[in-house]
Amino acid sequence: METLNHKEVINLLLQLAAMLIMARVFAEIARKLKQPAVVGEILAGIVLGPTILGSLMPGFQEYLFGSHEMSNIALDGFVQISVVLLLFIAGLEVELQIVWSQGKNALKIAVASMVLPIIAGFVVAYAFPEFLGVNINDRIVASTFFGLAIGITALAVVARILMDLNLFKTQTGLLIIAAAMIVDVLGWIVFSVILSLSESGSGGLGVWPTIGLTLAFTLIMLTIGKGLINKTLPWVNKKMAWPGGLLSLSLAICFLAASFTEFIGIHAIFGAFIIGVALGDSEYLTEKAKEILHQFINNIFAPIFFVSIGLKVNFIESFDLGVTGVIVIVGLLTKYYGAYFGSRLAQIPRRESIIVGFGLSTRGSMDIILGLIALESGLVSDSLFIGLVILALVSSIASGPLMGWAGRLKI
Amino acid sequence: MYQKIALAIAFSPRIEALIAEVKRLVLLFDSELVLIHVGVKTPELEKKLNELIEKNQCDPAKTKVLWKEGKPVKMILQACREEKVDLLVAGALKQEGLFKYYMGSVGRKIIRKSPCSVLTLIEPRVKTSEFSRVVINGTQLEITPQVIKHGLEFSKVVKADQVSILNEIKMYGLQMGTASEDSEEEIAHTRRQLVQNEIDYVEQILKDLDKGKLKINIKVTGGKWAVELARFCEKTDANLLVVGDERKLNFFDRIFPHDLEELLSTLPCNLLIVKK
Repeated sequence: METLNHKEVINLLLQLAAMLIMARVFAEIARKLKQPAVVGEILAGIVLGPTILGSLMPGFQEYLFGSHEMSNIALDGFVQISVVLLLFIAGLEVELQIVWSQGKNALKIAVASMVLPIIAGFVVAYAFPEFLGVNINDRIVASTFFGLAIGITALAVVARILMDLNLFKTQTGLLIIAAAMIVDVLGWIVFSVILSLSESGSGGLGVWPTIGLTLAFTLIMLTIGKGLINKTLPWVNKKMAWPGGLLSLSLAICFLAASFTEFIGIHAIFGAFIIGVALGDSEYLTEKAKEILHQFINNIFAPIFFVSIGLKVNFIESFDLGVTGVIVIVGLLTKYYGAYFGSRLAQIPRRESIIVGFGLSTRGSMDIILGLIALESGLVSDSLFIGLVILALVSSIASGPLMGWAGRLKI
Repeated sequence: MYQKIALAIAFSPRIEALIAEVKRLVLLFDSELVLIHVGVKTPELEKKLNELIEKNQCDPAKTKVLWKEGKPVKMILQACREEKVDLLVAGALKQEGLFKYYMGSVGRKIIRKSPCSVLTLIEPRVKTSEFSRVVINGTQLEITPQVIKHGLEFSKVVKADQVSILNEIKMYGLQMGTASEDSEEEIAHTRRQLVQNEIDYVEQILKDLDKGKLKINIKVTGGKWAVELARFCEKTDANLLVVGDERKLNFFDRIFPHDLEELLSTLPCNLLIVKK
């Protein structure tokens, strides 16, 4: 087995240390400014990457992130694992019980808040592929990817904002949470279908087998898989070290599911997400264990991923005001109005519907992962990806104050 | 509290115990008794039932026997509606198999569709069951104020020694996970606040209720309320659990069982389901 040499090990450790330190510093600044940590972590990546450090101290930046190819491959491995784990906790966050309790209203809001941005995003990207930077050779897939990327809600970010606004346990708060959970589940199913469309042209499984496999995998995991988890977890909790046994085995089954979905032609992250839902829904995964998993992944792996975004793209060189402007405007308006109309359709009063609209517009996690996959698959350009990141930053910064403002409206 | 208490009878070996149990409740609540049997009325069955009524000294003036023919669930529910029954008593099995659960049993269908509250007795006895340790679901749901009120009224009548109101912090893991962006002090504050919010919620409901001489304590937990309630009942050896049922269950509820469905599949003790 090939191993890293002495210098590459040092380089990799320095990379990780720099990323974690910068992420922490900027997350703390974001915290002081009452902003989500993800905002600070993304900015830390921009500072550490070619955009700022690469311009101010190109030699140092080159040494840190460009001098040892093997270290970069190892770092990419860390980033991949981080993405899988992020999807895993995104799955853990989905509580089917909350989704059922909110019922049809949450479903209406979730669907409306996804359909409008997906259609609008698709139309815009399909009509102006060269302007937006969408791969013209895979126009349909790339356009749908773009639509989906602007149609996602960041559940963890919105949960935090709702807690800060003291809205978490209100009817509106629970509705937003449940709708965001449905958006997550639907989003990842749509994602795997789009991916199959892309792969069908290049010898992949094809659309229908992938849709079939995706749905079968989801159903099996949430019924038989959950049953098996329910049978195993009590034994793990009782007989093994706690939380050591639970943590290592949870991550192991997450990686197993991720590798399985990657093997059958659906992306690895889908498997991680669905197993997260199945595990999170198990009555034997205690809330304390969920808390530990959250802390462990949110504070170690999430920063590595969010910082890595800034390392991949030059945010000044590839920045295009027109593209970013269109993405931010289309993204914010369609997501807001989609959720608002969905909410009105569910007969929620106007003021609460406005809060729901702003709440579901919160981004800053899964949408960036989607954008990154599209970027790495060559479906979208750097400019479009930057637009998506800026949309995530703007929406996660603005949605808290906007929800607070909407809550004070006298209508 | 209950003007009419009904018992669905099937002439099973537990019929005598069930009649004894329901007779005690009828006396405690000063109610009328409605006995419902779905099936053909034969002289033998009628004789057997009359003997049981006599043996248990049920007041004939306050006892009504209904013989119905047709689908059991439909007829029992119809009888409850016609007679304006306030509480339906039914016997339950302590454990049900996975297959049966998916197919749905008569008892479950009755519980799901009943227009009135349902008391499910897991082990009916001729010497009658005790309701000395009562647990009430205090989780923040629309029906909870009504469940707590109903549970306390019931507990006063049956002279319960101890009433516990168990309250669940919704999505505790997610809330504390996202709180990990804060300082240690802030996290501790968030944790305390989450617990306090639940206690305040229950105290707010209790404030306007007559508690009589009941000893009430409020417990807060994190997790799924149905599972936590079952665990708490087992741990404290409770003999009655009071929960609410506010919604109709659909096809998806059977595939992905939750809340009340989970509770019905792992009945920890006698269960009183309060209907909206």
